Amino acid sequence: MYEIIEGIIEAARLIVTLDPDVMAISARSIVISLTATVVATLVAVPLGAAIYFGTFPGKKSLINLIQTLYSLPTVIVGLLIFLLLSRVGPFGFFRLLFTPTAMIIAQTVLILPIMTGLTISALSGVDPVIRDTLRSLGATRFQFLKSVMKEARFAILAAVAVGFGRAISEVGAAILVGGNIMASSFASSTRVLTTAISLETSMGNISQSIALGIILLVIALAVNLVITTIQHR
Amino acid sequence: MIELEGVRKEFDGKSVLSGVTGRVERGEIFAVIGPSGSGKSTLLRLVDLLDTPTGGTIRIKGADIRRELGKSLSVRRMMGMVFQKPAVFNTTVAENIAVGLRFRGARDAAVKPKVEEALDTVGLAGYGERRARTLSGGEMQRVALARAMVIEPEILLMDEPTANLDPVSVATIESLVLRINRDLGTTIVFSTHDMYQGQRLAHRIGVLMNGTFAQVGTPREVFTVPATREVARFVGIENIVDGVVVGEDGNAAVEAGGIRVRAAALPGPGEKVSLCIRSEDLRITPADAAKAPPGRNALPGIVTAIVPRGPFSRVTVDCGVALSSVLSWKRVDDLDLREGSRVVVSFAPESVHAVGAD
Amino acid sequence: MLRRTLFAVAAVMVAILLICGCTGTTSGPTPADNETQQLRIATTTSLHDTKLLDHLKPIFEEQYNAEVLIISAGTGKAIEYGERGDVDVLMVHDRAREDAFLANGYGTDRRVFAYNYFVLVGPESDPAGVANMTPEAAFTAIREKGTTGDANVTFVSRGDASGTHSKEQAIWKAAGFNYTTDVQGSGDWYQEAGTGMGATLSMANEKQAYTLSDIGTYLAYKGDIDLVTLVDEGDILLNVYCAMQINPEKYPDTNTTLAKDWINFLISDEVQNEIASFGVDQYGQPLFYAVGDDWEKIGVTEAEVKDPVQ
Repeated sequence: MYEIIEGIIEAARLIVTLDPDVMAISARSIVISLTATVVATLVAVPLGAAIYFGTFPGKKSLINLIQTLYSLPTVIVGLLIFLLLSRVGPFGFFRLLFTPTAMIIAQTVLILPIMTGLTISALSGVDPVIRDTLRSLGATRFQFLKSVMKEARFAILAAVAVGFGRAISEVGAAILVGGNIMASSFASSTRVLTTAISLETSMGNISQSIALGIILLVIALAVNLVITTIQHR
Repeated sequence: MIELEGVRKEFDGKSVLSGVTGRVERGEIFAVIGPSGSGKSTLLRLVDLLDTPTGGTIRIKGADIRRELGKSLSVRRMMGMVFQKPAVFNTTVAENIAVGLRFRGARDAAVKPKVEEALDTVGLAGYGERRARTLSGGEMQRVALARAMVIEPEILLMDEPTANLDPVSVATIESLVLRINRDLGTTIVFSTHDMYQGQRLAHRIGVLMNGTFAQVGTPREVFTVPATREVARFVGIENIVDGVVVGEDGNAAVEAGGIRVRAAALPGPGEKVSLCIRSEDLRITPADAAKAPPGRNALPGIVTAIVPRGPFSRVTVDCGVALSSVLSWKRVDDLDLREGSRVVVSFAPESVHAVGAD
Repeated sequence: MLRRTLFAVAAVMVAILLICGCTGTTSGPTPADNETQQLRIATTTSLHDTKLLDHLKPIFEEQYNAEVLIISAGTGKAIEYGERGDVDVLMVHDRAREDAFLANGYGTDRRVFAYNYFVLVGPESDPAGVANMTPEAAFTAIREKGTTGDANVTFVSRGDASGTHSKEQAIWKAAGFNYTTDVQGSGDWYQEAGTGMGATLSMANEKQAYTLSDIGTYLAYKGDIDLVTLVDEGDILLNVYCAMQINPEKYPDTNTTLAKDWINFLISDEVQNEIASFGVDQYGQPLFYAVGDDWEKIGVTEAEVKDPVQ
């Protein structure tokens, strides 16, 4: 018990004095996961819309597959991206392994299924009467799609929040493709909150771990607050 | 304006509409009435091009909408529709109303005054900036109506528009419907399961039953001269007596349940008929009162039930067949009617309407 | 409006990170003079956790205008990184596997830069009574007590194919046991952690068990755990650290220049002194020994210790 309290106190000190290592790690976490979320949104939302509005054989199976991928273990994604980006792999010549870009790629791939699936759910949640109303008002196909997405915007925004949450809190892929590197420059390091927590814990630095954990929670909370505020406007 | 020829619609093998034929004239208010599930919504959705018919033809302003698919958007754009469930978009009232205009590419400067005018028309002036989802059901439906009207449609379709609303909202919407038709000449087709609403608002009524129009006519026709037994039931004729025609011409009568009923306009002897008699046409008098004038049917019987209905009472009499009429409480008291009273039910042959038994 | 902001944020983020990511990979073989070079090193957790590399890193970076990226993993994984050519330098402490690595042509220019000893640590109460025994005898005693049901006697193994784990297996073999049949799964007394050295020490501490550790990690953790050194002498406990270059013939875009610089840096006299005194302030004893002239004692050639890489 004493250890935990000691840890929390030390954590507060690290945060309040803006310990540079801790700050760098936190900033990197946010930047990487935020970028991954944005990229994933730009892919998942149109993709989800295309799947939802489209009619093609195997549509139901595709949606089932997407929902199954929700539970994709992060280490599997990490392993896959690792194999693809490794020097001996098909994309090795990009030399992206152990860079922040690799982590963004991994996190994007990781959260794509859940964001696509939740977008589809969001769109199906739009009342059929609304859809009839839009068509009866003479919407062209494009106007119709745009309006339905607008109606579902809050649910889609929630999907984005879920995506970010999953991205910033995952460890498996981040360690595998990032390598948890602490380099002298911000851009070359790949240590983020989750991988740092993992490392510090295994080295027995409890207070550091707790500090990083608190920050991670605060970030997740802040993002969700922003999303909720937007939703209530 | 709208022509329907043998329109059919099936869903998953189940037939909902099995050959609807009818016309709606320009500038009239046409009501589609019928029991729940009779396909009223389906029919309206087919007209609004939200669905395609499995068979038959629909012509709007002479154009076969199935054939000329390329024009479907422009055809749909001359119609407006209000649905049973008040559906408003998750934005302000003004934005809701403006949706149709924006789809047609109207600029902000043109949109604003039209929206204001529409709000005024439906009695929601000043509601523009409120979030539409916070309104009451009746208000939302008025928004939906304003939204449909602001695009100046030639045809307005309404699918049970007042079904879920309180009486005051119902009245408001009904008066709006009448005004729109009167002031703008809009052709209005609406469906309802409330036949009295149909009677109040429509120039003509189509009774949709079993997937087709069982009868199309003016409210008076439908209510007093129903075409079939089922229509008679639906429009609320309480007394329907099944029997067989006996005698001919001047002596024609119907044998039913051991009694004879004289009626005008009967088919030939041996024909099975159903006789429809409206409650208002029945007179109930105590058995010992003065005799009824000749020519009227006068059936003696015993009161079997007196059921209150508002300020009236429905009195049911067993005269060999069950007949019932509606009397005021005062009348019931004056005549000292109670269960078991001996009475005579009298009605003129002209008030008996015979329909072929089906 | 929201959509537009989102787009703007997205564009800016992606731009920033692509730039960052790209600058992170400009470590080609022929760099411009002013550009900071990147050196990727794969090493084992036990070496990394001693913080020796973190200590040496800034010195090298300053001197050679480079950026050193250190990826630490279990020995097995580090070697895999080397085999795949994802790094420029491999630093491990497993002679047998290093030999195979070199023989298969994945690495060249191996140099020994430090050595120390593994230690057998355990609870102060020493229920198996192994203090000051030889490593082989100690292991035998622990197994004896453990398999005959003494509940106080437990051994926690790394269980992760690391260099330490290899050493542990070598000791079992030297004591005359077949690892897979006589030790692994032979009872609750033998537990495989599957984690790094630090975590394994913590676990052993919790269970008041015996474990084999490198001296560096043990000293780093000594303040936080109650385990004490029970056996620290014996040739078999020798732990030799090497660094080698990933073979540029196999992976042409290895940063050969910088890799050679790093290896030579490690065996240079100044750095050897640095290594020999590392940890004295903190732990009262050094974590590593510089090889100096003792190459025979540790069983390697003089060339491997002294000759700079060309």
